[in-house]
Amino acid sequence: MGGFFSSLFSGLFGTREMRILILGLDGAGKTTILYRLQVGEVVTTIPTIGFNVETVTYKNLKFQVWDLGGQTSIRPYWRCYYSNTDAVIYVVDSSDRDRMGISKSELVAMLEEEELKKAILVVFANKQDMDQAMTPTEVANALGLPALKDRKWQIFKTSATKGTGLDEAMEWLVDALKSRQ
Amino acid sequence: MFAKLKKKIAEEAATAPRSGVRIPRTISKESIASVGADSGDDFASDGSSSRDDLSAQLHRRNDQIRKLEAKLSASIKKLQEQNESHQSSRAKMAEGMALALEKKDQEWMEKMADVEKEKAALSARLEEMMEQSLALFQKRDELEGFQQQELAKVKHMLLRKDELLSQQERELQQKEAEIQSAKRGLSEAREKFQAMQQQHEESCRLNSELEIEREELLLLREEADKNISELEGRCQELQAVIQQVSEDFQMSQNMVSSLEKSLCDLQAENESLKLQQQKAAVMEEEKARLLVELQKKVSSLERRLQGNLSQDEHLQELLQEKSNLELNLEETRKELLIVRTNHTDTVSTLEAQVSRMSGSITELQTLLRHEDDSSKAYRERTDTQIASLERQVLENTERMKCAEQQVTEKQQHIDKLHGEQNTEKAFLEQQICLLEQQREERTSCLEETISCLQTDKHSLLDRVAELDKQMLEANSILKQQAEELENCKAELNSRLTVSTEIAKSLEETRRQKEELQTQVGELTVGLQKSQQELSTAAKKLRLRDEDVQTLQNELQSRQDSLAHLQEETKRLHTQLQQMELDKDSQLRSLREELLSQTEQLDSCQARISYLEVEVETLTEQLQSPEVCEEDQNGCVTVDDLDHLQRVNREQEQQLSDKNRTIKQLQQRLAELKRTLQKELKLKPEPEAEGKEKFLESRAEKQERFSSDPPPAAAPSPPTSNTTVTNTSDLNDSREINFEYLKHVVLKFMSSREAEAYQLIRAVSVLLNFTREEEDMLKQTLEYKMSWFGSKPSPKGIIRPSISGSSTHWS
Repeated sequence: MGGFFSSLFSGLFGTREMRILILGLDGAGKTTILYRLQVGEVVTTIPTIGFNVETVTYKNLKFQVWDLGGQTSIRPYWRCYYSNTDAVIYVVDSSDRDRMGISKSELVAMLEEEELKKAILVVFANKQDMDQAMTPTEVANALGLPALKDRKWQIFKTSATKGTGLDEAMEWLVDALKSRQ
Repeated sequence: MFAKLKKKIAEEAATAPRSGVRIPRTISKESIASVGADSGDDFASDGSSSRDDLSAQLHRRNDQIRKLEAKLSASIKKLQEQNESHQSSRAKMAEGMALALEKKDQEWMEKMADVEKEKAALSARLEEMMEQSLALFQKRDELEGFQQQELAKVKHMLLRKDELLSQQERELQQKEAEIQSAKRGLSEAREKFQAMQQQHEESCRLNSELEIEREELLLLREEADKNISELEGRCQELQAVIQQVSEDFQMSQNMVSSLEKSLCDLQAENESLKLQQQKAAVMEEEKARLLVELQKKVSSLERRLQGNLSQDEHLQELLQEKSNLELNLEETRKELLIVRTNHTDTVSTLEAQVSRMSGSITELQTLLRHEDDSSKAYRERTDTQIASLERQVLENTERMKCAEQQVTEKQQHIDKLHGEQNTEKAFLEQQICLLEQQREERTSCLEETISCLQTDKHSLLDRVAELDKQMLEANSILKQQAEELENCKAELNSRLTVSTEIAKSLEETRRQKEELQTQVGELTVGLQKSQQELSTAAKKLRLRDEDVQTLQNELQSRQDSLAHLQEETKRLHTQLQQMELDKDSQLRSLREELLSQTEQLDSCQARISYLEVEVETLTEQLQSPEVCEEDQNGCVTVDDLDHLQRVNREQEQQLSDKNRTIKQLQQRLAELKRTLQKELKLKPEPEAEGKEKFLESRAEKQERFSSDPPPAAAPSPPTSNTTVTNTSDLNDSREINFEYLKHVVLKFMSSREAEAYQLIRAVSVLLNFTREEEDMLKQTLEYKMSWFGSKPSPKGIIRPSISGSSTHWS
């Protein structure tokens, strides 16, 4: 009953907050991206044990952005946050060629979840400012993105420290979310 | 022993008669004590009394003191008495004592002997003990030696172990360094490999680019070839055209020349025809004149025939006739000649002849006029004339030597005629009568000649007509020819224009050709350039290929070296493992050795303690005799014993220190092992695929992974160290999870309801909530978030949750 009313009221008063998860292996730059999106600055981060949640407004659209810690021991808890997720920002360290396979398996496992069937996937090929960074196409191929079915996805090359590529990605995401509504 | 002796002495004293001396002392003592005690008691009672009767007390005290003084004096008296008695008794006692002393002396002597005996026995025993102690000393020395040896051994072993340990450590470090260098080498190789790959890609790209360029160049070449072939074809065509044109030109030139020739011919013909015409006209005139003359002659002859003329007239007539005849002859001759010349078609000669004939006719006419004057002159003239005629004839004959036989026949005829003339002349001169006949003959022949002349004339007219016709024809032909000529000229003009055009076009074509040739040359140059470029490109390509080949070779070698390195690393791993195993075994053996040594040490210590105990007992035993006699040796032994004990303690301490250091070393070894294992765990296999797989498998088994021992640690034996790491790992994961839980719960409690609602799931998973509990939390939060609604009742959820969760907590 209460849920009904709350949903009704949230429907009446303005738009619902979009729920976005930022996922990825540890050290991919999720927290940096989150705060870059929120305050537009590069903050010094420590490994996230737990999560960070911030409200980000972009183009009159409110996002509740969840940055979940990516360490191996707490990755299994990602699934606790999957419900009601509108979009997943999957951050990949483009220069970390060794763990691309792990990243892929994590992504595949995530995308197989029933709760995320309708979520839009945005892949950030992050750390493009590094010398040995893989190109977005390489990353896409390494993650097996071209084989995805029934999934609206896009890959962007980003550098959270330099702040490049984030605007394009968010623009695309906003468009995708608007078109989905 | 000492106690015994004391006891003995006490017994003896008790039994001795002198024992009474002591008793009074004791009694007095006791009395005093009792008095003291009494007074003490009094004082104690006084102490308890009140202060009011202090003076009374004082009084009492004074009384008491007085009493006591009295008592004291009495006792002094008594004492004096006693003293006196005592002195007396003492004297008595002294006597008795002396006696007793003597007795006692004897007794003591006996006793001394006994003691001496005993001493001897004791000394013997001491000696024995000394011997024993010596033996013990020896033993101790031995033991000391043993101990030292053992200690040295232990030390040595420890040193060796230390050395070994350090060596192992060094080796380990070396191995680590090697591994690191290998890793570095690997990374370098990988980098190089990547660089190579990049280079390879670049070269491939270059190659492809070059190929594209080559293809382009080939295409260009083909195009150029096509162009060239086209141009060549065009050139050939043009050449053919040129040839044709030149042929045409030649043909036209030929035609022109032929036409010119024909024109010349025609002109010549025309001229000749004109000449012929003129000749014909002249001939016509001549014929007409001849006709007139012949008519005149005919008339004269007719006249002659009609009337007999006089001799003179006759002569004249004859002469005239003769001249006429001669003229005729000449004429006929000329005619003949003309005819002949006409027939032999030399217009010029004919003309000349005609002119000459006309000239001769005029001359003959003049001659004829002169003949009237004188016959002689006439004759002469005729002679000359004849001669000239003859000359002429000769000339003519000379001229016409090559003519047909007719001419010669005619000439012969003429000769004959000449001869006839001559004869006639002679006959005329000699006989005139014959003239008639002759005349008749002559007339007949003249008629004949006339007829023939007429026929001649006819024929001549015919000829003239023919000639006219011919002329007309010729004219027509001429006209035609002229037309043709004109046509030809027009044609020629056109041809010329055409030829000029052709020439122009030829020139153009030539120019084009030249241009084309230059183009072709350029193209060929370009082609050559391109070919050169191509060749250079091909060379480059080849070089690239070679480079690529070399790079690939290098790559191969690198890969080989990589594989080699990997093998080496594997080998090193195996060596490491082997070493670990070895070390473990060594450690175990060391530990065992240590244990055995500690056991030995323990046994030694036990023995030492035992010996110490023994030594103590001995020293105790020895100390008893020491009391009575200060033996130097015993003192030494005690010192030695102390020293020994000290040394022993020191050694024990050292041993414990060593044990401690051994333990520390063991701990360090364990730490080292742990770090090694950790490192191995962190970077397990250098092979990329295996690693990948391993990592993937690790990713799949994340949840189990924390509790599972890492595969790298598996080959190590299950020593205490591994278990320690395992537990530490577990602790770590638990810590992280705990930290995570803490964080999540903190956030859950601090964040907005909307966010908290999302966190219910995580909290319930982390805290192993049941479904009901989770639902309850959700409902509560929903209630909090909503503006309406009622608080959800607990419905006894908490109770089952405890019972439910208890299973989880266990």
